[in-house]
Amino acid sequence: MTAVISNWSHDNQERAKRIIASYPEKRSALMPLLYIASLEHAYVSDDAMREVAELTGITPVQVQSVASFYTMFKRGGVGDYLVSVCTSISCYLGGADDVLAAVESSIGDVAGEAAAERPITVEHVECIGACGGAPAVQVNYELIEGVTPEKAVALIKWLTATRPEVILTDEMQQLFGGRRSFEWGSTDSEGAVRPIPAFGPYGSVGGGSVGGGSAGR
Amino acid sequence: MAEHGTVSIIINGVEHDVPEGERLITAAERVGEYIPRFCHHDKLAPVGKCRMCLVEVEGPRGSALTTSCTVPVTDGMVVHTETDVVKKAQEGILEFLLLNHPLDCSVCDKGGECPLQDQALAFGAGESRFIEEKRTFTKPIPVSELVLLDRERCVVCDRCVRVADDIAGDPLLEFIDRGSYVQINTFPNEPFSSYFSGNTVQVCPVGALTSVDYRFKARPWDLESVRSVSLVDSVQSSVDVHTSRGKILRVYGAENDAVNEGWLSDKDRFIFSAFRSPDRITTPLVRDGDGFKETSWSEAVELVAMRLGGHVGTEVGAIGGANGTNEEAFALAKFMRTVVGSPHIDAQLGDGLDPHLASSITARGTISDLDAASTILVWGPDLKETLPVLYLRVRKAVRNGAALVVVSPYSTGLDSIATHSLRYRAGSGPEILRKLAHGDAGYEAVTETLANGPVVALVGRSSITENPMLAEAVAAFARSLPHAKLLPLLTRANVFGALDMGLAPTLLPGRVSTGDAAGVSLLEDSWGPLPESAGKDTMAMLEALIDRDLVAVILAGADPIRDCPDPAVAESALDAAEFVVAFDAFMTDSTRKAHVVLPAALWGEVDGTVTNLEGRVQRLRRSVQPRGMSISVSAALDDIARAMGAELGAADWQLINKEIAAVAPAYAGMTADYLTFEAGEEGAVVPIPGATQPLGHIPVEVNVPVVTGRFTLHLAPALYDAGVLVRNSHMLEGFADPGVVRMHPRDAASLAVADGDLIDAEGVGLPVKIDPEVPERSVVITRNLDTTRGIAASADIRVETVRGEP
Ligand code: SF4
Ligand code: FES
Ligand code: FES
Repeated sequence: MTAVISNWSHDNQERAKRIIASYPEKRSALMPLLYIASLEHAYVSDDAMREVAELTGITPVQVQSVASFYTMFKRGGVGDYLVSVCTSISCYLGGADDVLAAVESSIGDVAGEAAAERPITVEHVECIGACGGAPAVQVNYELIEGVTPEKAVALIKWLTATRPEVILTDEMQQLFGGRRSFEWGSTDSEGAVRPIPAFGPYGSVGGGSVGGGSAGR
Repeated sequence: MAEHGTVSIIINGVEHDVPEGERLITAAERVGEYIPRFCHHDKLAPVGKCRMCLVEVEGPRGSALTTSCTVPVTDGMVVHTETDVVKKAQEGILEFLLLNHPLDCSVCDKGGECPLQDQALAFGAGESRFIEEKRTFTKPIPVSELVLLDRERCVVCDRCVRVADDIAGDPLLEFIDRGSYVQINTFPNEPFSSYFSGNTVQVCPVGALTSVDYRFKARPWDLESVRSVSLVDSVQSSVDVHTSRGKILRVYGAENDAVNEGWLSDKDRFIFSAFRSPDRITTPLVRDGDGFKETSWSEAVELVAMRLGGHVGTEVGAIGGANGTNEEAFALAKFMRTVVGSPHIDAQLGDGLDPHLASSITARGTISDLDAASTILVWGPDLKETLPVLYLRVRKAVRNGAALVVVSPYSTGLDSIATHSLRYRAGSGPEILRKLAHGDAGYEAVTETLANGPVVALVGRSSITENPMLAEAVAAFARSLPHAKLLPLLTRANVFGALDMGLAPTLLPGRVSTGDAAGVSLLEDSWGPLPESAGKDTMAMLEALIDRDLVAVILAGADPIRDCPDPAVAESALDAAEFVVAFDAFMTDSTRKAHVVLPAALWGEVDGTVTNLEGRVQRLRRSVQPRGMSISVSAALDDIARAMGAELGAADWQLINKEIAAVAPAYAGMTADYLTFEAGEEGAVVPIPGATQPLGHIPVEVNVPVVTGRFTLHLAPALYDAGVLVRNSHMLEGFADPGVVRMHPRDAASLAVADGDLIDAEGVGLPVKIDPEVPERSVVITRNLDTTRGIAASADIRVETVRGEP
């Protein structure tokens, strides 16, 4: 069998090779390779898991076992905007369920369900570390604190209508946020361009601005 | 302080000496304190997953709850297994485990033998505080063609995953969506197709993994269990055969650490489905024109007695006997040598080894010697395909640190874990042996590994196309390695027993050579004069039938047309024979040529003893009645002998068993009673103390020629082939490969063929499969498939491209 890696972009193939070479055991490269697989399509497809299995010398189901544990490795298509509503305890007490319901009804989507053809995918997530500004919401992993159901609906409308190229946390916070947990200090001017968490070491700064892929923008 | 190698621990206030380093849960069980468990399994690495085995262990900061399956015992350890704290923990864990577990025990296969059911009753609170809806899944889903999965029943113990990964080396089952939605599953379209999948059904502590065949068939309390032996291959794994109302419903691996450690191959486990095949021969048959007509036993016996009695003894031969019990084999050997008066007897079909090497190799090892080996040398058939349970044992030894050297003409199941895997072009084995023996340049690393004893060498013919003398030379080489022990590799189920019973032209019962005058005269004391002429082996018998030197032949569960190296010779031989009588359970290519076919009982249907590749004798016990009018070969021979005016003394297996212990020197004292009352569940290795082992075979280094020719042939054995039992088992048939000619890319290029192109291999058309694992100028074809069985097992082969219509 030959590796089916060929449908990855050249950059990502090179990146994968470098990463594998940096570990004494090939299988140690599993997590970074899954991340690169997400860079390709914004999610980890069955084919991608087969590719990663072949590259790391383990079986696809062993890859799947890891990939399916981490909820940030998406298993299905994700829209251009991934809206993550926190429903853990602080946000829950702050009314996160209403926020989620408002978001869902405003796009007619069900949280967590794959919706590749839709521009917006909604999910509910566990604590995203913004308890002080609960309820909190992320768009493409960029944070907004103090979100109310009304503001959440406005956020969805805004995303649908303006289709922003770059998601900027400060901009969203100003338009749709409420009280911030604290003054964050540094402002992030880079923002996110894809529904992928930023991760510099493996080639993605600001949600996949580097390398790109076949899907996304 | 306890004595050496043990430590002293206090459990519930009582002091016990237990083996040092043992896991607490096992040590406690050893001294009679049962700690409940789900994930713990003696033969699997500890994972501490289920938390059912929590106990209190006292420490410097007071006592703490600890998983007893993960902690080793230490001297002075103080343990409490029955405190309120422990009880509360157990109740809590069970409450959690039952949180999502369905209450479908009444329709669950495991109900009645379910650790979850039992331990919930014994250690649970009796009531749950959870009122939430339980998780449900689509059910059942197949994880393979043999195993079904009901995910909602899973308690996430990780046993099946560890069996698949650590034991079998087929990591195709895993936890998916770990967290509160965790489930066991396979990758989409990648089933758990392992040769060992059935073991997961046996170790699953709940009814999550069930056997497709057994599902909904019975309740465990209706089953009768008979401890016996699996006569699928020469490892002879211990099994518990579970029957109900006269039918075998399932076969479980039995704990026998000397042999199979509880594991079975799927072939061991599921082959019994062939026993109830509608194609079983159930009545005696006599030739009637082109076909057969049914007859009675008495008529069949009369006919056989008359026809055999009508020839000079030495004109009669007997082939087979390697698939039955020792008693059946002994009866056949005695029948031939005393009643018929013929020395022409062979349990092997030209596909085996020198009988002396196989039965009496010196420095013979045991399976458990593998556990203590520093280095293991495997030079023989692919263990995974031929002796899968031995393959598991080698894997275990390697997992525990043994070095492994595999030498073979094609990739084998063990290559991926081998320290060195040496590949040679089929037929050029002698060359690589010479290089190894002389420590040629390039082989230093291998010779260095082999110099690290104790060495256990598993030696046989890598395939039927290999010169059997090569095995002799390899054995001689292996014998020279430090602290070497050897295990001869023949695969047919009871071939070692058959050889030990004298089913070989050069062997008498009990490992006595026909050339050993003292041994011969000792046997003649009880048997009367033995035939004086030299015996012929199977191939010689077949040639002699063609030449009319032999005129009649007995086939005892043997199918020479399928199994001997040259199907065409076997076919003409049986055509030429004046009389062929076959004992068999199924019609085969060979029995179809018989004049009389007698229905033979299969191993679940007879009692007796059997001998495995270590020389270990175990009791084979009847679990069901023979199908139809089938009887054991020995009982049939006894009748035939009587009709010929002789007494064989083989009417019942116990009589024969006693006679074996009396006249077969190496088997002296090896009675069924000894096995039952003294040897215990592990059986006993021949010779037992007090018995003699007259023949000792020291392998000699022989000059084996290297095969030349454009292409040499390796006829690779496969676990699932078109063998008679596999093709009659509704569970296993259809697993066989379609059959291809594998060749090296460069050879394919030189023949200008691509993958899938049809090629003519010695007259048989097969598609090409390009495979870089095949050495150049060699081809690999799987043996005994429907598509490949016509190919003669010659060392070299003519391969030609097919020029035909496009
Ligand atoms: S399926 Fe059975 S063996 Fe496998 S993890 Fe679940 S309970 Fe354990
Ligand atoms: S609970 Fe929502 S951010 Fe922590
Ligand atoms: S038996 Fe110890 S944790 Fe499962």
